[in-house]
Amino acid sequence: MNDHGFRHEALFYASEDEFLLGTVPFIRQGVQAGDAILVVESEEKVRLLRRELGEDASAVHFANMAQVGANPARIIPAWREFVEGHDHEGRGLRGIGEPIWAGRSADELVECQRHESLLNVAFGGGRPWRLLCPYDTEALPAYVIDEARRSHAYVSERHVELPSPQFRGIDGSAAVPDTPLRPAPREAVAITFGAEDLGNLRSFTGRYATGAGLDQTRTDDLVCAVNEIATNSVRHGGGGGTFLMWREDGNLVCEVRDRGRYDKPLADRERGHGTSTPRGLWLANQLCDLVQIRTYATGTVVRLLMKVRILTTA
Amino acid sequence: MVTRTLAPVGLRFTGEIDLSNVHAVTEALRACGNSGDLHLDLDFLSFCDISGIRALVAHAERRDDKHRLMLHGLPAQIERVLDVVGWAELPGLAFCNCEVAA
Repeated sequence: MNDHGFRHEALFYASEDEFLLGTVPFIRQGVQAGDAILVVESEEKVRLLRRELGEDASAVHFANMAQVGANPARIIPAWREFVEGHDHEGRGLRGIGEPIWAGRSADELVECQRHESLLNVAFGGGRPWRLLCPYDTEALPAYVIDEARRSHAYVSERHVELPSPQFRGIDGSAAVPDTPLRPAPREAVAITFGAEDLGNLRSFTGRYATGAGLDQTRTDDLVCAVNEIATNSVRHGGGGGTFLMWREDGNLVCEVRDRGRYDKPLADRERGHGTSTPRGLWLANQLCDLVQIRTYATGTVVRLLMKVRILTTA
Repeated sequence: MVTRTLAPVGLRFTGEIDLSNVHAVTEALRACGNSGDLHLDLDFLSFCDISGIRALVAHAERRDDKHRLMLHGLPAQIERVLDVVGWAELPGLAFCNCEVAA
């Protein structure tokens, strides 16, 4: 990767002042150069940046990371839309995106880190543009900052921008994770399924989700996602697999295990063109709050998470 | 299950469409040919997976704005999937809320 391609840069900041010193000049340079600029940040940081930028803010598009990146696998499609949307304008492109904040759950954090690496695969070697990813070093643990040094080609700290010696490169960024997921609890319901069992799987998922307090629309979404992932197992994962479902920490979790190999690192975040491309994983990411994919020597595991609002009695 | 409808001419799908029966959907659509508008009543379809929706959309792709595939009573679940996968905007596909008689 070089300055003529996609430049993926982490910005380490330890205070609001440092955040502004790292982001505002980056935005202003873009405004002066006539670049298209998209900032995906928390509502609070969007307000802060708008205030600091004054009139220059009108040349910037802002989006709320809590919405765009609620499921971190939806962030790359948003950047892709930005990049492709300005493809024929001949303008420079700049983005700021802060997908990782202290309030992310442990599972979300891992998927956000995966997202940061996959950005290199999605945009490396393509048209040149710059993406700056702020990291709050005061609020985030040291291992998160260390991982940012591996997932970004450049690091900016204390106003100095340097190539990151720890960067894992584009090829290293593509590997599908084989890290273990937290074991399913003993009380998880396990169902072995084949081609004839998809209907049963759907009705079971629907009943379980409704019983756990998921509303009808989100239950339909989960049923649809489970059906597509299980259909993938039937078609590509050895004719079937094992389905597990349980509740934990305010989430409904559905897991599909099969004997297939998952080796297309961006397949779950590409909508594809035409009607023939596989869409199951894309759909799951659009319908579910989090999707975790792991591939091992023995097969592939896909976990779908749906947050369940905790019902409290007055 | 697939049944023929007479006014307007078309098909009614009931129950669930998934990997196990999507071939029947494709066959039924093919048997209708590509001339004139073809009306599909989906009001009693309780579930349709992506392969089923793809079968409908693939049939619509062979049509145009003068020989449309008219979808009646589109269930919310199918509408949502069409929207998410980005297949709702085909010239040969149209949505209609009018009644279909058997």
